Amino acid sequence: MAVAVSRGFGLGRPGWRANADIVKTVIVSRLKIVSRYKGMLVMEALLPIMFAGFPLLLGFAIGGANAAQNFQKNTGTTADYKLYMLIGSCVFMVVTLMMWLIGYWVRREQETGTLESMYLAPAKRFYVLAGVTTYAFIRSMMIFVIALFLGSLAFGVNPLSGNVLLAFGFISVGFLPLWGIGFLFGAFILKIKEANSVIQLVQWVVAFLMGIYYPITFFPGWMQYVAASFPPTILNDGIRSSLLNIGNLFGGGWWVPFALLLAFSLILPLLGYEIFLQTERRLRRTEGVGQY
Amino acid sequence: MSEPIIRAEHLAKTFISKERKKGAKKKKAVEALKDVSLDIYDGEFFGLLGPNGAGKTTLIKCLTTLLIPTSGDAWVNGHSVLRDEDEVRASIGCMLMGERGLYWKLTGRENLNYFGALYHIPKGVRAKRINDLSSLLELGDFFDRTVETYSSGQKMILAFAKSLLNDAPILILDEPTVTMDVPTARKLRALVKDLHRQGKTILYTTHLMHEAEELCQRVGIIDHGEIIALGTAAELKASMDRQDVVEIEGIFPGHVVEDVRALAGVTDVAVKAEGNGRSKLAISSSNSRVMLPRLIETIVRNGSTIEYVKPQEVTLEDVFMAKTGRSLAVDTAQTGKQEVRGGGGRG
Repeated sequence: MAVAVSRGFGLGRPGWRANADIVKTVIVSRLKIVSRYKGMLVMEALLPIMFAGFPLLLGFAIGGANAAQNFQKNTGTTADYKLYMLIGSCVFMVVTLMMWLIGYWVRREQETGTLESMYLAPAKRFYVLAGVTTYAFIRSMMIFVIALFLGSLAFGVNPLSGNVLLAFGFISVGFLPLWGIGFLFGAFILKIKEANSVIQLVQWVVAFLMGIYYPITFFPGWMQYVAASFPPTILNDGIRSSLLNIGNLFGGGWWVPFALLLAFSLILPLLGYEIFLQTERRLRRTEGVGQY
Repeated sequence: MSEPIIRAEHLAKTFISKERKKGAKKKKAVEALKDVSLDIYDGEFFGLLGPNGAGKTTLIKCLTTLLIPTSGDAWVNGHSVLRDEDEVRASIGCMLMGERGLYWKLTGRENLNYFGALYHIPKGVRAKRINDLSSLLELGDFFDRTVETYSSGQKMILAFAKSLLNDAPILILDEPTVTMDVPTARKLRALVKDLHRQGKTILYTTHLMHEAEELCQRVGIIDHGEIIALGTAAELKASMDRQDVVEIEGIFPGHVVEDVRALAGVTDVAVKAEGNGRSKLAISSSNSRVMLPRLIETIVRNGSTIEYVKPQEVTLEDVFMAKTGRSLAVDTAQTGKQEVRGGGGRG
């Protein structure tokens, strides 16, 4: 065995302060990078408004003056179909950005060599990933708020008439399962080394399952179970039921979707991280994480 | 040099690659490392030489935990690369990918701050360390600009600064001067020498033989995944079945050639008349550096006039060519571009 010479930094076990510093530094660095692409956040914020705009205009074209009543009657939810779809689009943007940003981050880091640089450092991957997913969440929440504000002005709706505090609670708990999904998605991109086509496919599947324009009760029975066990659907439903003062998918009080999200919060980040580590280890056995 | 600070024991790495021939896919095992055992000692300056595809990058990636070996183990600073990955990483400063591995939308300072956090360097210490490195490497002119505006040489210097961030006892540098201009490369070599004098162990790969000769205390030549030669430059040269030749031109009395021939260690003396009473002696010996003072003394003692002395020694390039059948400089120039694309070659 080779001799141990204790010199330099970082040989000691890092404490919570050092690990928190990693998370913070990663978040700040990512935010600096995105802020140097001028206008990106504003352009992204327009997307959910467009997403909501298409079905709204289509619905009005078909339903005419009775669109609101028809929507309420057919879906059993609310007559405020504009806000219903705007919230769905904004939550979808948060979910898809979380996945897109993680997938794109892994791919970009592979291509630029920064992924290998990261693997040369002793920082635990968990804290780096936590930093990246938190950055993704902060960025997507900024988009959420801007888009909801601009969309409300454009469509003449008021998103603050419902229980805003509860909606915030759903976002706070729903963030953790999205972390886990981000880890899983990152592991997948790490393995297949291709982000764009996967993101394209997955985001439309997610949009379909989340029910951004309609309640998932429209689905056949088995598909309702699949959609309802998907954390982004529960998050979307929780936020929507809070802001629109309507019932949730599960029929009980607000605490039912809240408890489900909480359960996913405990499981998904750990599962996602474990799968990320396994994928990474398999890659280091075969070709290396930096190979692209 | 006492204890090995890096030890590789029977390291092997096999890649499975897919070949596509006439539409059919076929798996093929490529042995990138074959049973490599190697000790690098604490405080040593070790050079690793090899043509592209020889296995140097694979060996370095195994030692830095970027790759898990198929079999065997290695210890870095007392830690196993298989079991104590974080401790191994904390023990090494690396510059492996040239100017890659930097965030182009961040400034040099922001890049160092980011990677400093990944090495668990406390914030206050990190800021001071970054300022110190900026002064040491004279990064001031461009340090606070985003990396996308840097020249290749500036990116390389920043990558070098990144490798020094954690002040690790071991520094692994893979072709660090490859895209630098001559003065910058000279400066970097001087800095590396200085770091070595301060006690750092350095593992250095290069295709520039003068760099290897100038810097490295010991050299390993790797080819086809095996270490085929290992030792000091002098030992490797001595292992060659070839004589050094010293050319001495001047005016020599007739008996000088016989006196030189009679010297122990001299194997041959060829004489060529150059006109005007001048001659050129081509003296073959096993080690011209050792022989030279005695040769000059013998020639001068006999009343000769020496006009110039030109030793023609065996070089590391000769050793490399003899061992691998290729010239390192030519081989690297031909295939070097492939390493840039594709996340680093497997060589």
